[in-house]
Amino acid sequence: MRTIEGARQLAASLVVAALAGCSSTPTATTSQSSSSSAPGATVIKIGIDLPVSGADASTGIPARNGAVQAIEEAGEKGAPAGFTFAAYDLDDAVQGVHDPAQGAQNTRVFVSDPAVLAMIGPFNSSVARAEIPITNDAGLAEISASATNPSLTQGAAAAQLRTSHPDVNNFFRVCTTDDRQGAAGAQFARKLGLKKAFIVDDNETYGKGLADVFEAQFKALGGTVLGHEHLTKGQTDFKALLTKVKALGPDLVYYGGTTATGGGLLRKQMPDAGLASVAYLGGDGISDAEFVKVAGDTANGAYFSVAAPETSKLPSAAAFVSAYKKRWGSDVGPYSANAYSAASIEIAAIEKALVADGNKMPTRAEVLKNVAATTNFPSPIGPIGFDKNGDTTNPILSIYRVSGGKPIFVDQINLKV
Amino acid sequence: MDVFFQQIINGLSLGGIYALIALGYTMVYGIIELINFAHGDVYTLGTFFSLAILTALGVSGEVHGVALIGVVAVTIIGAMLLCGLTGVLVERLAYRRLRNAPRLAPLITAIGVSFILENVMQLWRGPSPVPFPELLPNPSFALGGVEIEAKQIAVILLAVLMMAALQLFIKRTKLGKAMRATAQDRDAAQLMGIDINTTIAMTFLIGSALAGTAGFVSGVYYGTTWFFNGFEAGLKAFTAAVLGGIGNVAGAMLGGFVIGLIEAIATQYIPGGAQWTNVVVFSVLVLVLIFRPSGLLGESLPEKV
Repeated sequence: MRTIEGARQLAASLVVAALAGCSSTPTATTSQSSSSSAPGATVIKIGIDLPVSGADASTGIPARNGAVQAIEEAGEKGAPAGFTFAAYDLDDAVQGVHDPAQGAQNTRVFVSDPAVLAMIGPFNSSVARAEIPITNDAGLAEISASATNPSLTQGAAAAQLRTSHPDVNNFFRVCTTDDRQGAAGAQFARKLGLKKAFIVDDNETYGKGLADVFEAQFKALGGTVLGHEHLTKGQTDFKALLTKVKALGPDLVYYGGTTATGGGLLRKQMPDAGLASVAYLGGDGISDAEFVKVAGDTANGAYFSVAAPETSKLPSAAAFVSAYKKRWGSDVGPYSANAYSAASIEIAAIEKALVADGNKMPTRAEVLKNVAATTNFPSPIGPIGFDKNGDTTNPILSIYRVSGGKPIFVDQINLKV
Repeated sequence: MDVFFQQIINGLSLGGIYALIALGYTMVYGIIELINFAHGDVYTLGTFFSLAILTALGVSGEVHGVALIGVVAVTIIGAMLLCGLTGVLVERLAYRRLRNAPRLAPLITAIGVSFILENVMQLWRGPSPVPFPELLPNPSFALGGVEIEAKQIAVILLAVLMMAALQLFIKRTKLGKAMRATAQDRDAAQLMGIDINTTIAMTFLIGSALAGTAGFVSGVYYGTTWFFNGFEAGLKAFTAAVLGGIGNVAGAMLGGFVIGLIEAIATQYIPGGAQWTNVVVFSVLVLVLIFRPSGLLGESLPEKV
């Protein structure tokens, strides 16, 4: 048994590595801005590592588009003389699911390319955990639009990720953190008058982080937590778990995790287990179109939080939203504006370093310094600054409800501290 | 107590799907002693074939009355045929030439075939979950405090029925006899005039057709699938086959039900049980193999197929 399974896993990893090896380099789109691509102009690349295939693609692609759009606009506006900006775009999904090892591999590709001065990504916290030690070692500034686990930037766990330069932080994010997403979810659930919650998470960095904070906050706000279970990877049958949940009589099931790790199927099987009338609330992991596709009709009525403001409700985002629609022919995703803002911050930091150096190719350290010093940067999602951990100083979260298969905005929660 | 019986129903219906897949594993192992790792993926192909047939028939929601019987029959038979053909093709192209090679070679080949099928499915239907139409009306009825869904009953009955039919086929038909003979001693069977190539191909045809049935059932039961579905299900079904005594048809079904039951009961009664189900399942497997190395039914029926 063991050797067979071992052989299979070994074979799996070999094939995956081989596939990744052949697919990542040739399919990488190095979309170059045309306006200033004079012959001989030095290309400055911004690495983008996001999951753009599989179950994560429906939120990953709109985020990628946002970042690419910022880089293209910077090119149209005119890069400093002698330079052009280009997006260097890699996929970290393997077999349809975001993969930390693939993310780390992509990051190494960026690091080994001297033209890459900063990077956007990753989408998921578990992937960020694998990438931060690499970017820390290389001194490469990395801004994530959506990785929301607190321990990526805060506390002893974050310090451990900074293996080569423990005193330097090079990971930033324009989204808020799970402790705030869990807290916003708990606040919202209590606002709805829900009292008894059963918590399920997918046992990943993101999902468990979200669920743990929700549990603490929900209790602190006077709610009762009936139980907290973790799913196993690849599980598709949740009837047994839901039977157990039903016997406890909750009025809310809180899910910490993504659609790909079970969030959609869990919701789909709730009515079969007699939980049709029980509220379902999750984090941004179930904010994708996949959730509606997997859960079908049962998706309706589900709530989820998004660690970003609702762009259509923000006057500052109006110009971006219409430009995005014009460029990509589709509506913005939940993290498009975040990724756009993240890329804009990096471009501004690079341009500032270019000016300071008298139009010479800046070093990664200079870019990193400028990114870290960002304060009140005007962006579609409001003025952004980074605190000493690299977290945004402007945490606005939104709550949505799925209705008729579409997410409808229901509430905005600002947790500014 | 209601919860306990509810979990028994949950476990049996989950186990029914494992059992249907395990039958194919155990048949192929019985005849050529190959663990056909591609079998789990043939099962997923069954779901995708069913979906394609339903799409071709223009079915996207509930069907009633006579039409329902027709649609189900056409879809199941179509999926069985297509999966059976896939199985025969895989045997012909990948395994036949390796029949006398060291045992590791066909095993690695099986893993390779598994990857090929997974990637073909990914190219065909994309890497995301694909919804499956809710074909059957699904009335549920209460028995005491236990809610039983019609489709749960259907899965359990189908697994038992298929097992019984297979058992009869192997014991009573001429081809079944040829299979048993080939399993016992391939060379001697050939000397006695049995066309072992056809016999082995038929084994793959039947085993894969059963996987096609399981694929259809899982599509209807869960209402969704994706290209990687067969990996986990295949592994569990393989475990079921080993637990029941690999090569033994009744054992495969028993193993499937036992694993489904263990999963459901472990989820219910172990605190934080959902994450421990696999640990419990494989611990039971290890224990069984320590005390009964040939599996639960391995000894009482020494004849393989």
